[in-house]
Amino acid sequence: MYLVEVESAAKDQAAEVVAPGAPSDRWEEFPYSRLSHHGDRCCEMARQWVVAMDFAQLNGASVESGPRWLREKYKWGPSPWPMHWCDVVERDTIDCGAHAALALEVFAARGLAAFPAQLVQKYSKEATDQWRGSWEAEEVSCHWLDGEHIYHEATAVLVGTGELKVWDGSAGSWVNPRQRGGYGSVLSIRVFADSPEAISNGFRWGEQRIAANRWQQIG
Amino acid sequence: MKVYVSGLYSGGNPQPGVGIVRSVRQGFPFATIVGVEYSNRVSGIHWEDLDELWIQRPWSELDLDAYGAQVRGVLDEGGLWISGSDLEAMWLASIFPDGHRNLLAPPNGAFKRITKPSVEAADKLPVEVPTFISTDLPDWELHAFCRAHNWRVWLKGPYYDAARTPTWDRFIAARDALTKVWSTDRLFLQAHVSGYEESVMLAAYQGELLGCVSMRKRDITPEGKTWAGDVSPVDPKFEEPLREMVRDLNWTGGGELEMVRDAAGQRWLLEMNPRFPAWVHGATIAGHNLPALLVQAAAGVNARRAKPLASEFTRVVLEVPVRDEFPLPALPEPFAGAIGHSMKHPSGLTSLAERLHKADAELIGIAEEEAVADGIPQVPETFLDDIAAYDLERLQTPEFLYMGSTAEQLFRRAGERAHRLSTNEVQVVSGYSIKTNPDERLIGLALENGFLAEAISLLEVQKALKVGFRPDQVILNGPGKWWPEGMMPKERLHAVFCDSVADLDRCVDALATGEMDSRHVGIRIRTPNVVSRFGIPLDSPGTFRALVEAVERLPAHVAFGVHFHMASSNIGVAQWWHLFESMLKWCRAIEQLTGRTIEILDMGGGWFPDDWHSSDESRFVRAVERVKAVLPRVTQIVSEPGKAMAQPSMALAMRILEIQEHEDDSIEAVVDGSIAELPMYAFQPHRILRQCGESGALQPLGRGKTHLMGRLCMEHDIVATNVALPEGTRAGDVLIFCDAGGYDRSMSYVFGRG
Repeated sequence: MYLVEVESAAKDQAAEVVAPGAPSDRWEEFPYSRLSHHGDRCCEMARQWVVAMDFAQLNGASVESGPRWLREKYKWGPSPWPMHWCDVVERDTIDCGAHAALALEVFAARGLAAFPAQLVQKYSKEATDQWRGSWEAEEVSCHWLDGEHIYHEATAVLVGTGELKVWDGSAGSWVNPRQRGGYGSVLSIRVFADSPEAISNGFRWGEQRIAANRWQQIG
Repeated sequence: MKVYVSGLYSGGNPQPGVGIVRSVRQGFPFATIVGVEYSNRVSGIHWEDLDELWIQRPWSELDLDAYGAQVRGVLDEGGLWISGSDLEAMWLASIFPDGHRNLLAPPNGAFKRITKPSVEAADKLPVEVPTFISTDLPDWELHAFCRAHNWRVWLKGPYYDAARTPTWDRFIAARDALTKVWSTDRLFLQAHVSGYEESVMLAAYQGELLGCVSMRKRDITPEGKTWAGDVSPVDPKFEEPLREMVRDLNWTGGGELEMVRDAAGQRWLLEMNPRFPAWVHGATIAGHNLPALLVQAAAGVNARRAKPLASEFTRVVLEVPVRDEFPLPALPEPFAGAIGHSMKHPSGLTSLAERLHKADAELIGIAEEEAVADGIPQVPETFLDDIAAYDLERLQTPEFLYMGSTAEQLFRRAGERAHRLSTNEVQVVSGYSIKTNPDERLIGLALENGFLAEAISLLEVQKALKVGFRPDQVILNGPGKWWPEGMMPKERLHAVFCDSVADLDRCVDALATGEMDSRHVGIRIRTPNVVSRFGIPLDSPGTFRALVEAVERLPAHVAFGVHFHMASSNIGVAQWWHLFESMLKWCRAIEQLTGRTIEILDMGGGWFPDDWHSSDESRFVRAVERVKAVLPRVTQIVSEPGKAMAQPSMALAMRILEIQEHEDDSIEAVVDGSIAELPMYAFQPHRILRQCGESGALQPLGRGKTHLMGRLCMEHDIVATNVALPEGTRAGDVLIFCDAGGYDRSMSYVFGRG
């Protein structure tokens, strides 16, 4: 889920939080996931395959359609980091960070403005305990879990003037901006963007204004 | 207050009656609610909120005049009537053309303006209507519509019912079924729109919009029916024109606009229903009790305000007690040897459709402006000229007729087009697919008009050479290119495309040993996402890597190329062009990863003649430009039109052996042709001509009730269905099946000839 080099720092930081405010506080400093590239043909072949395959799978539909084929091909589950392009395409199971990174690449290749997005979602203690078990069995870090909250990664796509849709690659669906609270709901979102316009104006997601590059509580 | 509610069917495709009853009960706890139904097999009659039941005989038995008078009495006495059935509402509108203050259903005039698929009344709403055509049009044009929309089309009935028709035989079967069920030929084909389904429900009284609410389907049944949804207020930009529309129609009652929202956010209107939808109580749960608003407006009594419980709803399946006075009826006895029970709507709604047609044939005016009488297709003049050159009386039928002038014209135009599309940098040349029709006259025309010969076996290579092609004008591809052994020309071929990595390795070896020589050697790539058995697959990183590594083994002295082929008639024209763009991306990736530049691009094929010959040439010009932009080292593009050349070049003459007229007005005519001569009968329409016995003129056949059955003693030997034989047709007359020069000719077989 996260770059391995930031994991220990993140753990330390989490431990220092005595009375967490918003659920996203725990993940305040988390970077979004990025696939590594060996700088060689192995990774370039994988990257080109993903991009060409995405266009083939688009099947004539709108370029704003979600790349659901990625979820069909790669199940969601624990995967170790760091991950290279040549690794990710060969895996059967990848986590949300890898899903989001692949989606980011294909949306960009389609010519869309796409941004990494981080979410904090609410589930239940039972759900996160189950996930913790699965992740630990694979010896993969699970500090994306915290009580009834989880850290999740997605891909934001600009679909109109300043308007976002958020693609949850692990679910193969768009995140519902109208959901308010409850099981599976989004509590916080952070969208990374570096254009001056996005930084000054932010985005619109459903009926909400989303500032760029900082966690925003939903609801 | 007494409120009559109909449409209580509560199966997997429910009517809204039970939801309306629940909502009315919530708004008016002390109202007397009367459930109206036309069968005691409708489960909704047992719902607990119903105070009384008024069960009629099924629509097939009902005395409509007497029943109409009873309904009038109920309304005159102050009863309110909310119809939960499209057809019942339509019938009520015919009884009360100007409405009745207590009838909470739309007036007659409104129905005619919401007829699907065009829904004329909704023209001011911010919606688009998916492209559609009436099935009154000739089969030839219906097939073209399906191709143009990539076979992602729906055949829809006049009221409800829709069937996906991804192939021609599925279309024919669905058309037969829907025509029988709804007792009308007035169906329409509509292009599919991919997206999320949503609806706007409304309630209005005497032209005043009382309320409206939006719902997005969040869970659907396998039939696409709502199972769960989220409810929200209607966008003011939608509500204002909706209010005007309701006023314009003088609408009374519930209504629903069913839409799809595509990826770009555009809403596409599928239909407008003249009643509340089955999810009506889901909106009440969210605080929008439209049935109560409707009753309130008609009765002048304030409804109890709905308290929103949630903005989302879902359905559950409930068992309820059966009322003693309406015990479950006996199950119908299955027909001996048959499977299951009758699946017809228990109230006989389809019978009502038939009765409504008889009462008012114009009630359903589907796309009348586009209708063409009798579905008679246009037949090109060259067809008529070519057929006229034959003495049809003396033909030993069944016999293929070579359409000489048609073929010459097609090949000449293709040759000229290729010349026009060529530039200084890129030569465009057509390839003639020998397998499509190996007739030497057609291969000869290909040679005369500058085509290359495309062969899939060494026998086909030899056939091309025999007709006069040089080896360097021959392209060899396919999985069986080494068959039969020992026939590979020693001279240099124009191009060889390999169908697998093993095939590529064999070609590399053959080049090294001198067993084979070719100017170009390339690969055929297997199209991901579109199912194909041919070519080297691209569908996983591993297979892609294997392909890249195989290409790297090609000797440097041969030019490299890529071949891809997919029948545009099967996947549709737009999807074929998407595939073309997709292939360019794969080609670019292969170039970058292997370092081999692509010099020849061979693109096929399987084009339906009209699509290839009539299509806007600028599309092909742009395609050449795209190739130049993406693959700048390509010097030759081979375009393989496939059956676009061969199919119109031959017709099949057959003679009527016998005509049988049946009691139901259908006609069965036996002909001396068969599926052995016309194996493509189920995959494409054929334009059929009959020579008039008196004038000798060739008459195209339109749509009718005749089935043309082949001579073979085989259950499925039916060469055409639903055609109209012109008056005076008799045994011995000759029928000409046009468009039979492609796979009909090359795949015809000798079955049943002794």
